[in-house]
Amino acid sequence: MSNQVIDLLKQLRQAALKRNLMALISYHEEDSYLMRFANSSISLNTNEHLISLDFIAFDGRKKASYSMIVNPTDFASMEKGLDILAEMLPHAQPLTYDPTFPVYTRDVVDERSFDPFMCELTNEERLAYFNTLGEGLESDDVKLSGIFSSGTTTTATITTANEFTQYFRATDAQITAVLSSESLKWEVNAEQSAQMKKDLDARSLHADLALLVQNYQQDQAVQLPVGKYTVVLGPAATAELVQIMSYYAMTGSALMQGYSFLKEEDQGKQVFSDQFNLIDDPRDVEIFGQEADRFGLTRQPFPLVSEGQFQAFMWDQDSADEFGKTPTGHDVSRTSLVINAGTEPIESLKDLCEMPRDEDILYIPYIHYMNVVNPSQGMMTGSSRFGALFLKKDGSVQVPYNVRLTQKFTDFFGKNILWMSKKQVAYNVSSSYGRRDPTALRVPRFVCVKDIEISHSNPSY
Amino acid sequence: MKDTIRKYIDQLHAKGAHYVDARWYPHEDSNFLFMWNGNLKENNASSQSGLGVRVLYNGAWGFSASSDLANPGAIFDKAFDNARIASERVTFPVRLAEKEAIVSSFNSPNRIDPFTVGLDEKVAFLQKMDTALNQPGIVQRMGMLEFVRKQIIFMDSEGSEIEKNIIEVFPSISAMGIDKDGGMQRRTYMPGRTSGTRGWESIEEGDFLQNAERLVSEVNQLMVADDAPNGKMSVILLNGIMFLQTHETIGHALELDRILGYELSFAGGSFVRLEDFGNLRYGSEKLTVRANALEPNSPGSFGYDDDGVPAQDNLLIDKGILVGAITGRQMVEEANAKAKKQIFEGSSGANRATSFYRVPIERMTNINIDPGTDGTLEDIIANTKYGLVLDGDKSWSIGSNREQFHFATEIGWLVEDGKKTKVVKNPTYRGETVPFYNSLAAVGDKSTWNLHYVNNCGKGAPNQIMQLGHGVPVCRFDNVQVGE
Repeated sequence: MSNQVIDLLKQLRQAALKRNLMALISYHEEDSYLMRFANSSISLNTNEHLISLDFIAFDGRKKASYSMIVNPTDFASMEKGLDILAEMLPHAQPLTYDPTFPVYTRDVVDERSFDPFMCELTNEERLAYFNTLGEGLESDDVKLSGIFSSGTTTTATITTANEFTQYFRATDAQITAVLSSESLKWEVNAEQSAQMKKDLDARSLHADLALLVQNYQQDQAVQLPVGKYTVVLGPAATAELVQIMSYYAMTGSALMQGYSFLKEEDQGKQVFSDQFNLIDDPRDVEIFGQEADRFGLTRQPFPLVSEGQFQAFMWDQDSADEFGKTPTGHDVSRTSLVINAGTEPIESLKDLCEMPRDEDILYIPYIHYMNVVNPSQGMMTGSSRFGALFLKKDGSVQVPYNVRLTQKFTDFFGKNILWMSKKQVAYNVSSSYGRRDPTALRVPRFVCVKDIEISHSNPSY
Repeated sequence: MKDTIRKYIDQLHAKGAHYVDARWYPHEDSNFLFMWNGNLKENNASSQSGLGVRVLYNGAWGFSASSDLANPGAIFDKAFDNARIASERVTFPVRLAEKEAIVSSFNSPNRIDPFTVGLDEKVAFLQKMDTALNQPGIVQRMGMLEFVRKQIIFMDSEGSEIEKNIIEVFPSISAMGIDKDGGMQRRTYMPGRTSGTRGWESIEEGDFLQNAERLVSEVNQLMVADDAPNGKMSVILLNGIMFLQTHETIGHALELDRILGYELSFAGGSFVRLEDFGNLRYGSEKLTVRANALEPNSPGSFGYDDDGVPAQDNLLIDKGILVGAITGRQMVEEANAKAKKQIFEGSSGANRATSFYRVPIERMTNINIDPGTDGTLEDIIANTKYGLVLDGDKSWSIGSNREQFHFATEIGWLVEDGKKTKVVKNPTYRGETVPFYNSLAAVGDKSTWNLHYVNNCGKGAPNQIMQLGHGVPVCRFDNVQVGE
């Protein structure tokens, strides 16, 4: 497989050289499968096999790019793409800085995140997984929805500088299962991220769903009063918060655009809880770490926060070129963020519900439609969704209607952190808006934070 | 190629497929230019072509797509196989509302194809805008031009064959400054669609230069402004936020697939129930909303949807009462069956896919609010005791059933005793959808109405981005929670 791709890249390199182009040539191939469920049926069963090429041409300070979804047997159309690029380049306006042209110094073949068994997963196996996780939980009123998305992503790059190439291949699965009441409109979910087929575990999702359905069918529903709560975040909520925070606040471009609530002088300062460490770890195969970035820089573990001290911004090549910074190996389509494990031995939702407690705790597994209200202040907003629980200090459980949180990122990951689980889980945050690009974070199973303000509380489901 | 597609459609039909359609994109081209502080950061062109095949078998959908057209039969076979597996778990077999077989074409109106305009001219436009924005107080300047040109051939097993040729232009400029408290303030201009076309000619340089001057002035005012007040008050929403309010809390809430639970694993549901049609007072009597896919100058107008149903103009909310939804062929049949009565007479022609490799789903067309009788913007302000005029979307977050929302806007103007008294920064407001629209107290006349485009509406799994429009007047809502 890799030989075919590398051969194509080498042919394209020759074609670019023939046109006197200095170019970075990227290949992306996805073999994607998605089985979608709604109203306890398979509402859609789909697959896409797409091959894309990206060309970026450099001429001193001028740059132009051309992208195409291609027919792999039609080399002539690929050459036409290079012709268009060659026509565009002279008309590009020169940048005010010198862009770096990537020159690879070695071949890279990174298939650590590839699992041949996941690659060969069948429709029948996807269906069996869903049948297992929903077993005995559906009814005339309680319906199963969800997605089983899996696939293989191959990316590779070459430049006209030499014949070294970089090749990456990964498999991933992203599973979301929702059980919802048609009459009452409550909804609970369970999710799994997997990189290898052997890790697929429908039974574990079944256990979480069974517990939540029992709570939602039997326990009292409540409209929580607005005010401050001790909140336990599930992995979806934690992962999305950290993903958005890192995007808006921890990149060099966010800093230079003035969006980041973190400033250059914050590097080395205590901004977060001393329990909180955040690292971009390309060694972590389960969250699709990549060995090198697009400019050929070897990616190293990159601490962003150590014991609460903000360490450094992530600089992609272009931002580094423009602002005179050193690139940090972050010319990548995805990072591999890891929050450290905590010390609390709470491994499952059942453990959380049964945990002795001396105060009421609001469990929020998922924050729906998160958005950043004020990036300069690091202020976000979003609503709880998918199976929040109100764990009363007397040991009982209530089912809260959804609530809205409008808080700063530092309210979640600053001094208010009370504890984090010893157990970590991978959470897949891949979006399928564009090309398949498996992206996941490793986060504690639960993160407990005090003084989180609920600004609005729904009067019903 | 069309003969080949027809042959495979017929073959699958003969093999037992209830319905088959194919969308062949001979080409989809785009061109994206992004200038940031005078640097042309993005100078990108792209192209794609391929085939997507949808098969209905034993009440279940299968879909397959590929850019590899060397063996189109394999794409059809895969789609059929996907449908066969899907049919093993069906609780409500898919049925499609009736439609006529149509052989036709649609060309979006434009005078100048933006792909015939040279790169030099496009870059020169961005440079002019950058120069216009490069004024004291402005620390970040952005200019964007995006152009799309696509040809779509739709064919189905019911005899339809429709060719669509669509051109879109999406221009915008932004200016940013740092306020007295160190916060970033931004103003953005995306032109409304006043002309009848949607080619290069719809980008009017003079209009952009005038608005660049306005953005610079407003950013400078925001830099010294106080924070917006907290509390309950009137909000007067200008087009630059009213379009998004409409999009998020009327448009998405009235997509019939959301109402029927088909988006519960991702985008969410809707607070609307089938029994609400004809009954629910969604808003005050001043609220009349329509899905009008016949506006000539909007990306929400496309001739025929991806079920092959002609574009239409349908009422959604009539003087405050919910009367219609955004629908495709599948959902209207299921809704009528579940309601045990005929709520919907047929598809409203709103099933669309973002590309050849995605399956069509219910998407907004142009979800428009009719102009009202409460006069001009000045009239509405003059009749307001205390409140905020708001404009420009900064952030938006909506409950999973579209039952509640939170918006932040780029700018606000305080209104006291019928007069705009000062600019305020960081305004936010929130509300619950139905009470909010029932607090609609004033709707501006035709002079306040403008059509905004949206080029990034996300929905579905696999995810899809869609382009559409919202024609909205200035609206005033009373007793709204501001500042949380």
